[in-house]
Amino acid sequence: MRQAIGLLAAGLILAMLPLVGLPAFYESFLYLVFHWVALATSWSLLSGYAGYFSFGHGAFFGAGMYTVATLTAGLGAPFLAALPVAAVVATLLSVGIGAVVFRVKRLRGELFGLLTLAITFVLATIVLNTRLDGGPGVYLSNVPLPRLVASPTGTFYLLALGLAVLTLAAAYTITSSRLGLGLFAIHDDEDVAEVEGVPTFAYKLVAFALSAGIAGVAGGIHAMYVSYLTVPDTFSITVPLYVVLMSVLGGARHWLGPAVGAALITASLYAFTGGQQAILGRAVVAFVLILIVLLLPEGLVPAVLRRARGRRERAADVAVAPILAAAGARTEAPATLDCRDVWRAFGGIQALRGVSLSVAPGEIVALVGPNGSGKTTLINVISGHHAADRGRVELGGATLTGRPAHEIAGLGVSRTYQIPRPFAHFSALDNVALAATFGSARCAAAEARAEARAWLEFTGLGRRAAALPHQLNLHERKFLELARALAGRPRVILLDEVLSGLNPGEIASAVHLIRQIRERGVAILFVEHLMRAVLELSDRVVVLNEGEVIAAGGPREAMRAARVVEVYLGKAHVA
Amino acid sequence: MPSLTLLGQSVVSGLLAGGLYALLALGLSLSWGLLRLVNLSHFALALLGAYLTYQLGHAFHLAPWLAAGLIVPAFFALGVVLHVVFARFRVTEFTSLLVTFGLAVILESLIQWFWTADYRRYETPWASASIRVGPLFVPTLELLACLTAATLAVATWAWLRFTYVGKALRAAAEDPAMAGAFGVNHRAHAFVLSGISAAYAGVAGAFIALISTLAPAQIWAWLGTVFAVVIIGGLGNPVGALLAGFLIGVSESVTMAVAAPAWAPLVSFSILIGLLVLRPERV
Amino acid sequence: MVRGALAALILLTFAATALAAPAGPPIRIGGTLALTGPLAPTALLHKIAGEIYVDELNKGHGLLGRPVEWVLLDDQSKPDLTRSLYEKLITVDKVDLLMGPYATSGILAAMGVAQRYQKVFPHHSFGMPHLAKYEMHFPTAAFGPEPNRTVPTTVFDALAATSNPPKTVAIVTSKFSSAQFQSSGAKEVAEKRGLKVVLYLEYEFGNRDWGALAARVKDANPDFLWIGVLGLDGNQMLEAMKKLDYTPPRHFHLFPAPGPLALAPDAKNALSVTVFEEHPPFMSNAGAAKLVPLFRERATKANVPYPYVETQVAGSWAAWQCLEAAVTATKSLDDKVLAQWLKKNRVDTIIGKLRFDGPNNYGDDLFRVKQVQDGKWVVVWPREFAAPGARLLPP
Repeated sequence: MRQAIGLLAAGLILAMLPLVGLPAFYESFLYLVFHWVALATSWSLLSGYAGYFSFGHGAFFGAGMYTVATLTAGLGAPFLAALPVAAVVATLLSVGIGAVVFRVKRLRGELFGLLTLAITFVLATIVLNTRLDGGPGVYLSNVPLPRLVASPTGTFYLLALGLAVLTLAAAYTITSSRLGLGLFAIHDDEDVAEVEGVPTFAYKLVAFALSAGIAGVAGGIHAMYVSYLTVPDTFSITVPLYVVLMSVLGGARHWLGPAVGAALITASLYAFTGGQQAILGRAVVAFVLILIVLLLPEGLVPAVLRRARGRRERAADVAVAPILAAAGARTEAPATLDCRDVWRAFGGIQALRGVSLSVAPGEIVALVGPNGSGKTTLINVISGHHAADRGRVELGGATLTGRPAHEIAGLGVSRTYQIPRPFAHFSALDNVALAATFGSARCAAAEARAEARAWLEFTGLGRRAAALPHQLNLHERKFLELARALAGRPRVILLDEVLSGLNPGEIASAVHLIRQIRERGVAILFVEHLMRAVLELSDRVVVLNEGEVIAAGGPREAMRAARVVEVYLGKAHVA
Repeated sequence: MPSLTLLGQSVVSGLLAGGLYALLALGLSLSWGLLRLVNLSHFALALLGAYLTYQLGHAFHLAPWLAAGLIVPAFFALGVVLHVVFARFRVTEFTSLLVTFGLAVILESLIQWFWTADYRRYETPWASASIRVGPLFVPTLELLACLTAATLAVATWAWLRFTYVGKALRAAAEDPAMAGAFGVNHRAHAFVLSGISAAYAGVAGAFIALISTLAPAQIWAWLGTVFAVVIIGGLGNPVGALLAGFLIGVSESVTMAVAAPAWAPLVSFSILIGLLVLRPERV
Repeated sequence: MVRGALAALILLTFAATALAAPAGPPIRIGGTLALTGPLAPTALLHKIAGEIYVDELNKGHGLLGRPVEWVLLDDQSKPDLTRSLYEKLITVDKVDLLMGPYATSGILAAMGVAQRYQKVFPHHSFGMPHLAKYEMHFPTAAFGPEPNRTVPTTVFDALAATSNPPKTVAIVTSKFSSAQFQSSGAKEVAEKRGLKVVLYLEYEFGNRDWGALAARVKDANPDFLWIGVLGLDGNQMLEAMKKLDYTPPRHFHLFPAPGPLALAPDAKNALSVTVFEEHPPFMSNAGAAKLVPLFRERATKANVPYPYVETQVAGSWAAWQCLEAAVTATKSLDDKVLAQWLKKNRVDTIIGKLRFDGPNNYGDDLFRVKQVQDGKWVVVWPREFAAPGARLLPP
């Protein structure tokens, strides 16, 4: 909150600058600084926060430039009216791209970067070969610039300042909101984020659209500034490359990071413009850049903040209430998980063949079977990570099959992973808080932190709340998975080999925990190889082999069934 | 209606141009795919190699292959040194972009300092030589560049596939901790790979000097296309880079032969986009 | 008495020479050039030309008796940087006069600033006369107001005067604004003169693959090839065509880098246009005899491959000459006074007598046709400007 007020105050003070009567150059210089602040910050909304490195920021920038150019020079529209149109055009372009690309799972990482770069080239070529430009360039000197203040440079300064403040406000708001939390989670592990309830597709699209719209407006303003547009100048490698550099330099995950990087790099462009030192000057600036990045790899802003504040201590916002009391305050309507005739194949491999099982509230069902029998696949299908080819999964009557994973999470399904997949950049507390925010509990920010703390206490990780995942050992990470799964206040919880790798003492605590969870009316389906735990914990056992249910029933009877023994130990051991 | 000869000639021209793209892309693909480092200075290094080839030829009348014989080992050493710096500072994928950008600017400034910004052209007697194959002409220099690219691509692929070092590199790229647990000395191998990448840049540079004109700002001219070649071919996949180079080269060239030439990037990059979105798995 | 007079004379001479060295606060002339970036190759030549001019001024009487300082900044080939740097020069460095940057986009960006502050604006490399609307700008890229008509006309006139003029034309041009502008004009002029345009292609500025284009030209088999080139594209085209065992009988390059083209083995008899070459009658233009050896010396020292004065360098020199002429004639640094003088008077420059009273302050089209003969550029048309004894060599 303090930061938001600080931002607005700074913005207001800076807005008075044109009245001071500085030489026009300073207004122009600051225009360029704010221009790049807006561009770099908008780039990081998607690429810094969610990790979808876009090399296509130039496409949206150029789209904005040429929209304004066409409307003002070609159609005589007033400049200020053309700016929102530029935003809309750029936004539509990004939504069109995102709607297609974000659905395709493998188009992440460098493929997304390439795709966005390719789109820039395509757009540039289209503009170069059509009436939008055609080669001779577009000349805007006849377009009247609205007089916000007396001088044109002052006007550009104010426009860019306004855009920069708006962009920073948006960035700040996002980083402290659910959207930001979700984006950061997508950055670390998109699939897990989706399963925890983050609507990944929608969030990515919103971030992308916002990012593009801002770039479009920045481009529109810049069109008037340069007043003569050519395709090579507009769609050069400069914009896509520099926004990346500025964001990485300043810190791409912090709302102020790209702005700091932008200010530094823009200033450095002017540091050595003297005619005699131009060449060497560039080399010196580049060298300084390299030094900064080598010594402060996360970016300037995070490094400075870390120095300034020491280790960030997160004070508990709310007193930790005993979990049972907190649990009692809000109970989810218990529901039965019902799988009916679920089929799923991967290419030529039929992983699930007509699997049917059900888990009642307060029931613990163990899912066992040899390796490759389809246990994890079933969990993936139930949680929505994979779609079922045929069959239905229902929870308390509501159909789960066919829904995206985040909706399923919202309906009360949680799962853990065989190999823990915590969000690497989130502390233990934040990992669990995320699940509380996006799960069926849908807590607000402070509430989510309190929930998270409670669940961490429940699983014995209270002291490790501020630790990052790489600082936790395997047992702690497994229990973190458990806490995260519980924070979503699920009605059914799917545990995938939660006990593997634990020592006997840890196994005992885990068993105790699971029993407590059952007491709250949650339906539990757990995959396990450890027979001792299976026999101790489960009310019923379902045995899978090669995708088929070959036995189901009480633990001892199911494990003794002839078919099960044959499958585990071979025919000779039957009977 | 373009004649068959014209089409055939443009396909030839496209394949050869693609070979040069692939030659540039090889080193970049290796370091990006196997070392997880995006090396923007690769282009600057290649251009430096081009200028050095030019200088050795111009001032000392050294034939290009002799010049390359000097440049390539020197660049190998340069690549090793570069990786020493990267390893020492634990440079990640993100930060490598920034560091190598800075390096590229420094190299560009160096080039401009010594050779001025003015255009340089390495005139050689083989510049216009070509081999006649029926009605088609296959320019010799470009053919040589293409064959070199193909040879290096296949050799690298074989090296990665069949030798211990190659396999170790691929393993370490996928899971460094696990590979280390199996005794893979990734550090040493990484130095070798970095050296090889830089050496490839030197080879590319020698051909650029022979085929193209030189100006310091040329460093940035190849960026977009070569990045596309690297990614579509698959990071760390040398043969993929070769094929991707051919794809882009031919699609651009054929477009230039049958339609208004300025549309060429649209076709090649649209094909790229189509491939990325529609194909279930990459090359 | 004679001795007294002699002594007085000697004293006076001493005093005169002492007074001749420029003294007082320097006159600051501000400008930018693309010292780095893609436009740097040619901007380098303008830098050297400007430095020689200012040094020569300071060796002599300076401007209005004061030394001259050229405040030169690097605009990195970026128009937005150009604009802000000219604002810096005017509002922060408070220079007295301006000199334009290199190339069309930068000049337009700077022209807007000059207009806002009503500064007289000489420049030397602007290729789109119809876009230059500021009343106080003064171009020495002497294209005349309609280069898309006049330049091709000159070229086709030259070709028509040979024994076997071409009947078919192929035009291949880069999409660089000024090159495309004049090349599209060439198409219109050719068609009006009854020539058949068998091929018209526009390629992307920055193209790297010349094989397909060369194949198309060879296929079209024109009598005359017009290449709307900027830099070394023309060399690459010729080379690519040579690889296909084809050389067009006549070829013209619009804005080539002069050195490499003259020296290229495939460029025999290449044609281009120029406002100046180092041979008569141009050598008798104002300042030519002084500049040529100075430029050769400086450029060689700066490691420039082609240290000869040609269009770009001469245009630059002419811009400085105009500025000096106006200041000297009006004894003023007032921009409006200088502009008025330039509009009303003709200036004797290295490229001829320049006038600025035509549309958009453009005067005559001073571009002549030149050809590579024996590895050197010689002007061949119009006849009164041709090198002694030179003529357009037919294929």
